[in-house]
Amino acid sequence: MVHVYNCHPFSSQQIVQVEQEPGLVCCGGGALFVVAKGGCKVDVYNLEKEGCPLICRFATMGAVRSFHHSKIGDYLVTIEEKNSATYLRAYTNWRYQAEEKSRVGVRLLGHLLRGASMWGGVQMEIIEIPLSDRPVAVACCAVTGDLLVGCENSLILFTLRTQMQQNLHPSQQTLSSSLPKTQQNSGQSQTSNQNLFVLDFERSVILHLPKITPKQVALCAGFVAVQAELEVLVLKLEETSDAETLEEPSNISADFPEDQVDFLLIPGHQELLGDRAKDCDICVSIEKTGLEDRRHYSLSYALFRRFSPEYFQGCSVEETQLHSLQLYPMFSSNQSVSVDEPACVFCFFSLPTAGYLYSMKGGVELLSAYLYPEKVLGAVLTDHLLHVITKSALQCFTVRCAAVAARLEDPYIDTTMKACPPCSLEVCALRMQLFIGLQSLCIYGHHVVLHSTADSETPEQTGRSTPRKGRELKEHNRLAGIFLAVGIDPATSPALENLLSRPFLRKWTISSPKESSPSGHGWNLYVIDAVSPLALYQEMDEYSQSYAETNPQSHSLRHLLSEAHLLLRVAMLQMSTRQRAAEDEHSASVQTGAREGLANMEMERSELEEAFRLNCVQLGDCFSRASQKDCHLALPYYRMSGLSVTDVLARNRTLPSSPRAYGQGFLFYLKHFLLEETEHSLTQEAADEVINIINQSEPSMLVEVCCSPAMTNISPDRTLRILRHLEDTAGVSVPVTIAMATMMLRLGDLPQFKQLMERHAEMQLVYGFIEEPRLLLRGAGGSQRASVHPTALTRQMVTSHSGLLIAGMVALYENNKVQLEQADDVFKELGCQSSLQVDFWEAMLMASSCDAVIEELLFRLASVYIDRLTNSDTGSSPEHKPLKSAEDLINWSTHYGALHPWLTVLNPAHMTSSQHQVALHKLQALLCGSSFSVDSVAPLLERLSDETLWGLSLHLLCDTRRGQYGRSMEKLLDKCPQAIIAYANHQLQDKNMALWWEKLLPELCNRTRASPDNTILLAALKETLVVVAMEMSPAEFLELIPDDGTASYFLPHLLTCSQRHLLA
Amino acid sequence: MTTKTSLLKVILLGDGGVGKSSLMNRYVTNKFDAHLFHTIGVEFLNKDLEVDGHQVTLQIWDTAGQERFRSLRTPFYRGSDCCLLTFSVDDNQSFLNLGNWKKEFIYYADVKEPEKFPFVVLGNKLDVAERQVSTEEARQWCQENGDYNYYETSAKDATNVAVAFEEAVRRVLSMEERTDHLIPTDTVKLHRKPRSAGTCCS
Ligand SMILES: Nc1nc2c(ncn2[C@@H]2O[C@H](COP(=O)(O)OP(=O)(O)OP(=O)(O)O)[C@@H](O)[C@H]2O)c(=O)[nH]1
Ligand SMILES: [Mg+2]
Repeated sequence: MVHVYNCHPFSSQQIVQVEQEPGLVCCGGGALFVVAKGGCKVDVYNLEKEGCPLICRFATMGAVRSFHHSKIGDYLVTIEEKNSATYLRAYTNWRYQAEEKSRVGVRLLGHLLRGASMWGGVQMEIIEIPLSDRPVAVACCAVTGDLLVGCENSLILFTLRTQMQQNLHPSQQTLSSSLPKTQQNSGQSQTSNQNLFVLDFERSVILHLPKITPKQVALCAGFVAVQAELEVLVLKLEETSDAETLEEPSNISADFPEDQVDFLLIPGHQELLGDRAKDCDICVSIEKTGLEDRRHYSLSYALFRRFSPEYFQGCSVEETQLHSLQLYPMFSSNQSVSVDEPACVFCFFSLPTAGYLYSMKGGVELLSAYLYPEKVLGAVLTDHLLHVITKSALQCFTVRCAAVAARLEDPYIDTTMKACPPCSLEVCALRMQLFIGLQSLCIYGHHVVLHSTADSETPEQTGRSTPRKGRELKEHNRLAGIFLAVGIDPATSPALENLLSRPFLRKWTISSPKESSPSGHGWNLYVIDAVSPLALYQEMDEYSQSYAETNPQSHSLRHLLSEAHLLLRVAMLQMSTRQRAAEDEHSASVQTGAREGLANMEMERSELEEAFRLNCVQLGDCFSRASQKDCHLALPYYRMSGLSVTDVLARNRTLPSSPRAYGQGFLFYLKHFLLEETEHSLTQEAADEVINIINQSEPSMLVEVCCSPAMTNISPDRTLRILRHLEDTAGVSVPVTIAMATMMLRLGDLPQFKQLMERHAEMQLVYGFIEEPRLLLRGAGGSQRASVHPTALTRQMVTSHSGLLIAGMVALYENNKVQLEQADDVFKELGCQSSLQVDFWEAMLMASSCDAVIEELLFRLASVYIDRLTNSDTGSSPEHKPLKSAEDLINWSTHYGALHPWLTVLNPAHMTSSQHQVALHKLQALLCGSSFSVDSVAPLLERLSDETLWGLSLHLLCDTRRGQYGRSMEKLLDKCPQAIIAYANHQLQDKNMALWWEKLLPELCNRTRASPDNTILLAALKETLVVVAMEMSPAEFLELIPDDGTASYFLPHLLTCSQRHLLA
Repeated sequence: MTTKTSLLKVILLGDGGVGKSSLMNRYVTNKFDAHLFHTIGVEFLNKDLEVDGHQVTLQIWDTAGQERFRSLRTPFYRGSDCCLLTFSVDDNQSFLNLGNWKKEFIYYADVKEPEKFPFVVLGNKLDVAERQVSTEEARQWCQENGDYNYYETSAKDATNVAVAFEEAVRRVLSMEERTDHLIPTDTVKLHRKPRSAGTCCS
């Protein structure tokens, strides 16, 4: 269904005072170019001034067959004919031809060797562009000013070159053309620049397309489009640094198997998008021609569309021809037109019965197909509307370019943050304007130029003096006809009937006094001014009010608001383009005018933003009441509207008479808002209202909602009542109990709180926290970087349920509801860094299986233990009893090892404090475990002296872990020789066995020699000899006995050794 | 009422400094500048006039006579309807060069039947006292080369300037009558009239 909206896209019309019947018309750079029928003269009118006064008139060198204005470079390119030869020419500096009698310079393309035209000041100059083939069509790139020429079977690309020249006559007027990559103003503004840019073209690439005969061509930002009678091919031409691409011509051969040839003779309907277009049977080969040009080009297919003549009914085969090919760029609001490629490029072409709009960037796709109610002669695409003419009417359709641009510009669109009507939103037609005998249209900015001749085949239309009444009636019938054509019977809809009965030219002002007497000749040139997108938006907005009142759920309202939304997006895009241009100008010249202009724009912008917010409110309302699949869009639209939740609540408050009528969209919005971590907390009133709404519509979400930080002001007793009721109806659940406990806490009723918490076993409560983490932590379960804070419940649990708190935290961590860093923050906020936090780490070690986390925790814990041992840990509250003892950890955690037996010799029975002792045992257990990497804490251990036995024990553990047994034994012998045998028994085993005789025995021998009365050493020596005798052969043993040794001392050991050896 | 306006391309050739630009200025703007810069490349002007009841637009092409600008001017000889070979009566060399100019024109304009092409010869600077080329000499050259019309002009005091250009128009028109390949520049007509096949406009 095509919507037809009764909106007025046009505001006024004037008639251009042309003397002779126009043959060709085109516009650009604020000017309207008219070639009289069969003429060799171009009349240029100012489109931007009231009455369109003549700017200048200049002669062409031949009869113009087709022409085109380029915004960049402000040149006019023509295909001309003289004496049956066809020429291609570019007219530059034409604005200086105010005096018809001034000389015009002529030069060949590339012959720019001097400041020739400079001698006499700025002079109009014609660049003759010689071609070997006959030119058929031309097009200019709106971004670069490059020129594309379509010949019989080839396309030739000319790049625009600008050369700066010193103006030899500074007093003379200067060139005002807009230039690529420098200034993008339309040709109007005079710059006081003394340097002159002289234009030239360079032939850069020829594309040979032997199988297609171009009728029209288009060029935009590297996209090359060519249209034949029933085919359109769009290619992408890209500059590459790669020389290879040219050596191997991208000639896609059309070698088809023999049996397919018949099929190809009658081409059918075909649409090939993107890369697939290379499968079309049109081969393209590239020929580089730029002489000095060292660039290379690569070619790819972007779009191919072929229509078969019989594809369309209602048009004769001869009439079924493509027309109005256009490539259209659109810049996003944050990019600069002069530097960047356009964010979007669109391709439009049209049959008499239907138009097709494709988006070319970011994946080629058909945006919209326009089915015309009548045969269309010509169509022009603009930012927000597609203008088409039939023989007797000008009509506009909406376009989806802004929807594409918005998505390419903003990645947040189509998320819960932002929304925009879809690119696939059905297009609609706006009110048409009737004319007689329309021939052609062209558009500059908001000026639509129409050429009409009454000299057409419909004689009844020639009488232009038809009384108004009759004309209106005719319009009425025609519009009614269109409605019928698109499947709407106006009689069935009072709104449409009403529309049709309204006077047609509302808002339509006719400014030209000549309008009353144009019947002197049969032709006219009209300039119709289109209203701005904002004005059109306002009318749609007005229009939507009546819809909203009568049928707020209707699809039409939503469609209309979406259309209006896109208009605002276009207006904002246009605004930023203008603003950038103005800023450029402003920075170039400190004119007060420019500053005022900027201030005005600032006002306009805020007006636009206000309108945008309002539209988002309306769309939000629309979707919030919806219960269809799109209801989730209420969220992003309300968000973009900037409305507070309280405002949204108020807008969606239902009448007391209809109690359960909250829309799905509104509920979606509300839930999202509540589940999100916002700093914004509702007033008690609003929070209570929210609880009511949720209780009514989705009671299962009550606990979750109660946990929302937005709900902190909720009244606890009301909520308790609601939760109790929930429990009564839905049964007891742990999260509900905890939520109730929280409410009790808020009421200050600790006994009740405790009682509630005792209703469930600790493990069940932990599951309750996993189910609803936000009972414990605000912000939990959100993004990894979100800040997480303890709830009131958590604070309470620090003192009353610390074990449960730790278990809950570990469970949340293990279930990915909280990150380690976030947990750290929470403990910091709770003020229990060195108490509960350490318990948490220890508990985590028992639960975690992630190596990186374990390593981190081991280090942290070792540091804490060391701190405690050195007493530098002042923050620890002495009354806090660690949840886990060293024995617990050794028993339950694989990371804590059983204490080595020799440690008991070193460990004192009593230390200064039990805290100390616990820390020592835990650290020793860590060092005895296998997970812990000693190197990581070695620097910390340095701080500990080895003067004390416990200090020594830690150093020994470290050295031993590092394999420094010898050093350890020396230390032990020095400081605590009574432990040496316990140590050696435990550590010197298996492959370390040799240390008994290699290290320990010689060491003991030496030491006993020095102090022969040391019984501890002697006992140790004895023990050692027993072990050595067990392990060695008698010969080896003999070797080991020191020369000065007393034989009697060693003899028994030697004897055991020999006996054992003999037995073996 | 049917008026047909034709666009006639008339090209001025001749040595640098003989007064081509001055002649064009005099004819179109009726002004004379004693210190004119040499022309670089090619320039043209349009002038509407009526000759013997024919409304014509004369497109006068002024070229650079200096040899160094040869490559800039020759591409534009094509499509000329008449060529004005110009010399200065006080400069014999410019007169002697007329033959070369004619040859250059015929070569680059790609004239199909050179003997039928309308040339007009202008001897400029008639006002100067010291003549180097006599009227007889000039007449004789015209006679021998194809019976060209010859005018002695002065851009300085406007002698014979308009007459010479109008003669050029006449020569073209008499040619056109036989071949009829005029281009109407504007046709104010309300009824479609069948036109001969030679007309290239619709
Ligand atoms: N006395 C006199 N001087 C003339 C006449 N015509 C031209 N001159 C002068 O001769 C000089 C050259 O004249 P131009 O018109 O520039 O000569 P041109 O043929 O256009 O020369 P190029 O552009 O170099 O080919 C200028 O200084 C003129 O003032 C004339 O009829 N009489
Ligand atoms: Mg000159």
